Amino acid sequence: VLTAARMASGMQEKQYTPSLLNFFVYNPTFGQKEGEEEKKILFYHPSDVEKNEKIRNVGLCEAIVQFTRTFCPTKPAKSLHTQKNRQFFFEPEDNFWIVMVVRNPMIEKPNKDGKPPTVEYQEEEIIDTVYGAVVKQCYSMYKLFNGTFGRQMEAGGVELLIQKLEKFFYRYLQTLHLQSCDLLDVFGGISFFPLDKMTYLKIQSFVNRVEESLSLIKYTAFLYNDQLIWSGLEQDDMRILYKYLTTSLFPRHSEPELAGRDSPLRPEVAGNLLHYGRFLTGPTNLKDPEAKFRFPKIFVSTEDGYEELHLIVYKAMSAAACFMISASVELTRDFCEQLDGLVGPQLTLLASDICEQFTVNRRISGPEKEPQFKFIYFNHMNLAEKSTIHMRKTASVCLTSVHPDLMKILGDINCDFARVDEDEEIIVKAMTDYWVVGKKSDQRELYVILNQKNANLIEVNEEVKRLCATQFNNIFFLD
Amino acid sequence: MERDMRGRGNPWTPSGLIGQFSLSNNVSSPTLDKETEDAATDNDRSDSGEFVVTMLAKAKLEEQGIGVKGRSSPLLEVGTQETPAFISHRDEDVTAESWRQHRKHVFVLSEAGKPIYSRYGSEEALSSTMGVMMALVSFVQSGDNIIRSEHIVVFLQKGPLVLVCVSSSRQTEQQLRGELLYVYYQIISMLTQASISRIFEHKKNYDLRRLLAGSEKILDGLLNLLDSDPSFLLAAVHCLPLACSLRDSLSQILQKAITPNLVFSILIARNQLLTIVQEKTVIEDARLEPADVHLLLNLIGASSAFQAGEIWTPICLPLFNPDCYFYAYISYLDPPECTVCLLLLSTDKEAFYAVAECKRKIEEAMMAQNSLSLIAKVQSYSVSQVGVSDLRHFMYKPFDVTGCFITYSKMEAPYSSEEEKMRLLDLYRYMHNRIHSTSRPLKLIYHVAERETLLAWVTSKFELYTCFSPLVTKACAITAITKLLRWIKKEEDRMNSLKLVLFPYLS
Repeated sequence: VLTAARMASGMQEKQYTPSLLNFFVYNPTFGQKEGEEEKKILFYHPSDVEKNEKIRNVGLCEAIVQFTRTFCPTKPAKSLHTQKNRQFFFEPEDNFWIVMVVRNPMIEKPNKDGKPPTVEYQEEEIIDTVYGAVVKQCYSMYKLFNGTFGRQMEAGGVELLIQKLEKFFYRYLQTLHLQSCDLLDVFGGISFFPLDKMTYLKIQSFVNRVEESLSLIKYTAFLYNDQLIWSGLEQDDMRILYKYLTTSLFPRHSEPELAGRDSPLRPEVAGNLLHYGRFLTGPTNLKDPEAKFRFPKIFVSTEDGYEELHLIVYKAMSAAACFMISASVELTRDFCEQLDGLVGPQLTLLASDICEQFTVNRRISGPEKEPQFKFIYFNHMNLAEKSTIHMRKTASVCLTSVHPDLMKILGDINCDFARVDEDEEIIVKAMTDYWVVGKKSDQRELYVILNQKNANLIEVNEEVKRLCATQFNNIFFLD
Repeated sequence: MERDMRGRGNPWTPSGLIGQFSLSNNVSSPTLDKETEDAATDNDRSDSGEFVVTMLAKAKLEEQGIGVKGRSSPLLEVGTQETPAFISHRDEDVTAESWRQHRKHVFVLSEAGKPIYSRYGSEEALSSTMGVMMALVSFVQSGDNIIRSEHIVVFLQKGPLVLVCVSSSRQTEQQLRGELLYVYYQIISMLTQASISRIFEHKKNYDLRRLLAGSEKILDGLLNLLDSDPSFLLAAVHCLPLACSLRDSLSQILQKAITPNLVFSILIARNQLLTIVQEKTVIEDARLEPADVHLLLNLIGASSAFQAGEIWTPICLPLFNPDCYFYAYISYLDPPECTVCLLLLSTDKEAFYAVAECKRKIEEAMMAQNSLSLIAKVQSYSVSQVGVSDLRHFMYKPFDVTGCFITYSKMEAPYSSEEEKMRLLDLYRYMHNRIHSTSRPLKLIYHVAERETLLAWVTSKFELYTCFSPLVTKACAITAITKLLRWIKKEEDRMNSLKLVLFPYLS
């Protein structure tokens, strides 16, 4: 992907961001006989690559994994760095390997006299932990909608697995925007909506009521404005579902909602003036008896394996409720109408309640035109993440209010924290005189960026202390 | 010319060995191996660098009792002089868990996959692993590659040699690549780059161990130094902190003892540099790179062979000129303690006697000034001298135009054990890597960890790494640094007085 060209002394330098070169899934235990190597390859992107080249690339991965097992049998290769690209290896299930090859960012500098431009590869720009996390996320997303590879094999053998992989990754890979991956991908966290106790209780009792009335519902999740309030799912399942909702489903449906009441873009409220609720998955128009609909199926983990569920996402204004029902049940139009009738009005009411509370709170705490501190916070225990640096983060857009190099420094500090289990603090001063402070305490990580060029270490420390006192109730107590 | 026959300058003893070969070129042996014969004939036609290679090759045959009388080059003899206490890593069982657990493996092989060196385990036992490595290198092709897992595997190809490092030390790929480069350069320092290229051009699957047999100890020593010596990390040379006057007087002594074709005079004490004197007109502005000095220090320190009298041996300085040899006169000035070593480098392989005469002059002058006992009194710095209670250790490198020198304090408690020393160095290494990142360099890192607090700081004038107790407050750390820098400034004349002294050519 080519981004803006830069003018430098009359000559244009072209900056290329990291991009996806290859993505493949293989199992070395299939096709071990001579001449049958192709059987190992379960998915390969881009598909128009010559067969022998595919086999060769997969063979290289096998060799590398084997080689590293010589030195550490239990923890084989994670990545391969070459000048031009970076390969990531991930074994999500026994003998099933996912490999992603990313082309390193590069700068193309034009040469005089018609000579071909010189290319300078920027290997250091790619942080392993970030893209390693992206590969894992690819698998998690696949697993959410298809279950594990093992399960697919049981259900329909290799052929079914190949089919499912093709169907999923063909679309999913197109949504990968590698140039905007950063520390938040490492965390894979969830943004929680801050609520007062009363409103939280209202939401909880709403969920209880609905689950009682519609006994088919097994799990519920409640979101407001792309932020999570309540979830009945396991953490790992919720985090990938959250990612799907906030980066794929909600953005797809947000445009019409933002349009004005009388705009032709406004979805058919279908004559229902009692509430603003509608289905984001399933029937788009309840009024039409002929219209066919289906709900996406997801797989979540249980004590002894997995269960398949229908995913119903129902939205009213800025509030969204997810209801999950066992996939073995057939969901009829009647059921949807019942749900619509029950949930629609209540959710609409709840949505406006929350909105009101939110506005009141903001009036009390003061408007946040430009957040005072630029920071990123993550709690490993509940996966809560908060960033005042990212203004909008969807699959395709990542607007950060700081220079990408600073984000990479955060990535470096996060890597350093991961080397040990103990609590640590790392403060650095970048060449641009920005200060970056990283604190790790008790399963929580905090990164603060300060634009205070003339400050010294002690002043920086005081600033961060102030932030911790107001925003984090002193949980980060060090020095 | 009558010479003292007791092992000093005697051409028929090990110390005068190269002198012997340079006097008689007609050495021949009917039982020369065909391969070496080929290499020999090729080399005979070319210049002196290769002549020496040929001789070394023949010297190897002598060891086996074939051909020429006499013994092999002392440079390569180092490997064979192993004390009974020396545990040979060569015989390690490569399938054992203990082999896998080594912190850092280093392998050297030729492009054809022929093993040349392995730090742990014998090359034969590892030949299949090396085969895989070679396959990986050719498969992945372009440039240098690394594999990251629990260990990091770095591949480096230099000419016909492939070097591989498998490390769990958590160093970065750049640092490990730098270490592999050092290994490569140490090999060059013994054989020269031109010879290696020519040998492999002529015969792709030549077994380079024939020429390097006996030198494993040198490479082992280098790898140990890379692990434990901070001066490699900062690409600078560690010098003993001498008073200006003492250093000047030593430099003058060296300056006066010259002979045609003598280009470098180097004085070393306890493996640290005292002074370097360089001939101006031949070399002009070119300087000895710190890496070359490191390689020299390792060559000398890696064996006790040099402690026997005087040695005259070819040495290549790879960063200075990778394709030709200097001839090095090496002699310890204070037997039997052997802590002070004189190194005189000449471009003339016949100059042994003239250079030995220089040494005699130097020895006399130093005796007159009682230099040896003055040197013996000099101590390395200890943090206690700085007078800051929380400070545990520091490393300081000024960005000085005239040289790359580093000062550091001794590693004292709690960093007394080898493991703790390594751990502290690893911490410095990680900070060094972050601060000097090519894409996002930093000015300062302050790292509070469980066992210590570290501060690294780079300005336009210097680079400083410090280690404090973990409970130090930021205010105390800042005060400590200020005090340290003030103390360094006071000691500056001792630390920075080592400037390269250039002497004029006198006919």
